[in-house]
Amino acid sequence: MPLTPTLIGHFSQGDAQAVSRQNRLPVDATAPDTLLVATTTVDTTANRDLLESTATELPTLDGCMQYRKLVWFYFRAGAAETTYRVLARATDHNGAPLGAGWITLATGTLPGEANTWGRIEIPATTDGYYDQYRIEVWRTAGNNYTLTSKIVGVR
Amino acid sequence: MQPKVCLVLFSFGNFNRAWTQILRNLGIDYTLCIATSGGTSASIQTPQGVFAANSADLRGYFRQFNAVILCDNTGDLAATSVNSYSVFWMSWNDPEDPAFLFFNPHFSAALGGAYNSNFPSDFPIVRPNPSDIAGTLYPADGGSATSVDPLIQTATRARGMCVLFLAENIRAHVQTICNTHTNRIPYYWRLDTAKHSALVSAAYTHRVARNGRAGEILAVPAPPISDEDTETYPSDCVIAYRYRNCFWLPHAMARTQRAVNLWDAEVSPFVFWLLYGLQLAGVRPRYRLPVQIETSRPLEALEASFNPPYSLREQCDFLLASWDWMRDFARRKGTAIIGGVTTGGRDRSASSRQHWGILYNTSYPAEAREAAMRVHQILVAGHREGTTPCGPHDYTIGGGDGLWGSAVSAGYIRHAGRQRGTPNDVPIARGRCCVAPHVLPTGVAGADAQTVQVGDTEMVEWDFTGRTSGTGTTFDLPMDNIHAARMIIEGHIDEMLALGFPDGYCAGHRYTNTAANNSGGECYWQALKEFGFRGVRSSSNCTGINIKRVPPNRIWQGFHLVGDEAVDNCSSGAVFSRGLYLPSAPSGGDAVKRFLLDHGSDISANWATGQVAAWRAYRRLLCQTTSIWLHGTVVELSSAYFHPNQSLMCVSLANPIAPFEGWSRLGPYGTPHYNHAVELLENMDAVVRLLPDVLYWGTITDVMDHRERVIG
Repeated sequence: MPLTPTLIGHFSQGDAQAVSRQNRLPVDATAPDTLLVATTTVDTTANRDLLESTATELPTLDGCMQYRKLVWFYFRAGAAETTYRVLARATDHNGAPLGAGWITLATGTLPGEANTWGRIEIPATTDGYYDQYRIEVWRTAGNNYTLTSKIVGVR
Repeated sequence: MQPKVCLVLFSFGNFNRAWTQILRNLGIDYTLCIATSGGTSASIQTPQGVFAANSADLRGYFRQFNAVILCDNTGDLAATSVNSYSVFWMSWNDPEDPAFLFFNPHFSAALGGAYNSNFPSDFPIVRPNPSDIAGTLYPADGGSATSVDPLIQTATRARGMCVLFLAENIRAHVQTICNTHTNRIPYYWRLDTAKHSALVSAAYTHRVARNGRAGEILAVPAPPISDEDTETYPSDCVIAYRYRNCFWLPHAMARTQRAVNLWDAEVSPFVFWLLYGLQLAGVRPRYRLPVQIETSRPLEALEASFNPPYSLREQCDFLLASWDWMRDFARRKGTAIIGGVTTGGRDRSASSRQHWGILYNTSYPAEAREAAMRVHQILVAGHREGTTPCGPHDYTIGGGDGLWGSAVSAGYIRHAGRQRGTPNDVPIARGRCCVAPHVLPTGVAGADAQTVQVGDTEMVEWDFTGRTSGTGTTFDLPMDNIHAARMIIEGHIDEMLALGFPDGYCAGHRYTNTAANNSGGECYWQALKEFGFRGVRSSSNCTGINIKRVPPNRIWQGFHLVGDEAVDNCSSGAVFSRGLYLPSAPSGGDAVKRFLLDHGSDISANWATGQVAAWRAYRRLLCQTTSIWLHGTVVELSSAYFHPNQSLMCVSLANPIAPFEGWSRLGPYGTPHYNHAVELLENMDAVVRLLPDVLYWGTITDVMDHRERVIG
């Protein structure tokens, strides 16, 4: 078919397709995105995030509105009892948080023993669509250990 | 044939992901294989099966690769099992076999049994013996101990080495540790000259044997260039060696769990040796990586209140000589040295630390302003020809922290004219109501409604009552919105044009480096895009008040947020450099203090009595800053930068661009002259010339192009 006036087209089955609201680009909009890969030394500093920041207003992840859910995979090298907190908040269209502080989505003891894997869904139930997340870990007993994390965003 | 290498490691629990990040950036395919132990009985787990380390199957598997890289290493010469499984590969020397790259290999005499019996009898490097270190290794870099494990250091505590690469006949300062031990002293290797002579006499055919011989010394400690430098090494001391198709190379990567997270990575300071090894092995990358550097505040001068050693005029004089040299360097090498010009000086603060102020503030001596103008004219001319492109860099807003440096920029003074300058009454904050246009009922929006867009989000905003600038010049500016961002950026461009630059975004690069590395978040990125920018330099926490992060891949809606790697020879808190070392310098006020280079007090304790201490400090500083720059170039695809006025304050006014000559040429404070720009760029040029398959002198545009190529 001939291309109708448009800025974007693509080929499909050997034919040129004009992109329109009814005929969208064949992209996989459901593929998850890797949002973070980090190694954290978990120590006793309270409210320290995965990027080892203690600035309490600083998000660990920003610009996440497009994600229905985040999935946090981790591998912990130590068994020390560890508290974690998952915080979230929304921003306006300029990127400015609507206010100071955070919603606490989850808090508790980080599951797993030494050299074990974990997986935590954020939020655990319902959908996210928050703009900013802050994920904190700190140990309350034992010794420092390395926590390796990967967080993916799911649309 | 696509380049492909095999990485062999023992455990993902001790694996530095910079190994693979570099390979991805270079477009080299790789396969990861895991050894089941560190002993000779280990099996190697490959994607095509598990093979014994000495098996013909493994040898056949390896033959599909250009090179096999041994990733494991240790800082304990007495360890009995680290990478013993690799001993068999030293005898796989047929032309069909790949090159083997051994970085900081553990081949100590402490290894016994099957390792000993399989170790090639003609191998020409003396095996280190933890019971006889003095007889088997040479202490390097003065022989002092690092206070912590030198192999896992990141951006401080460099060890200083000047290496002579024999085939290339190039001297370069690169961090080099062949082996170390629990005493934390870096060592070079000792050559068995008889065995080496036999290998050199033996013909050998393999694609990596460029001299057609079985043995080749690749690198040795460079001989001193001054009588002051008494740090010499025996003639049988070697740093890198090719034994048939096996490359015996210094440490390349820390054996530690280290993520290259998607914003930043901890500095891997030994990556030069990985790049050099890949080139020696004939692994031709799909992509070469562009090397470039930036400056922040290319023209500023410190007033007497900072207690600098030089007057305003003298500071401009050494900047003039240095910028003239840098512009010429950029011409010769085909690079562009970006300059972040301190804007805001025209409208808000006319101090001598502002580009505008040192040019036009009549409270400063005319001779200083004239000298500053000569520097400025070099920058403008260089901008036009592409060697010194400049963009805005504003500390006069956000409480001194730049874009969104504070919630409100108190007492903001705006520019005159244009769309958002005086006397126009324009929004400076988000409207009271914002509704997406496709759900906005008819008749709801107020009469002052306007459409604003930040990225994919389009809103109709109205009711700006109490949220506009009025017609005046000065007001408190909320920094968290697109209206403020547009006003600020418009003022920057206007000032750049008024300064004589033909544009305000580094010419065709459409880039600038931001003050305090604060890029301000989405509303600023949107405004910068609207004014034609393609990217800016940014820290990952991109506001001064720590409420924002850059996107994971550092690209927002096609807009680049290039990472930052400072390579100044002093800390920002110390304001300026007192040189390589000055006992009375404040914390971070000299290079040694800034980078913790005083290993075992072997600089500070000898400074007054041993001339070699200055050469030691010189070597360590160059190794440190070059390695940070190289890491930014090949691991992060980020940008290294320094502040000329601060880093060059330790030069001799008699000849500011003279090379370092120890105590033969003195700068201020009676200590050795040192020009950081000249030395650092010349040393990086030596590295680039050593690695023509891997690096080239490029520009920030090349960096952003490559980021789009490999990150997307």
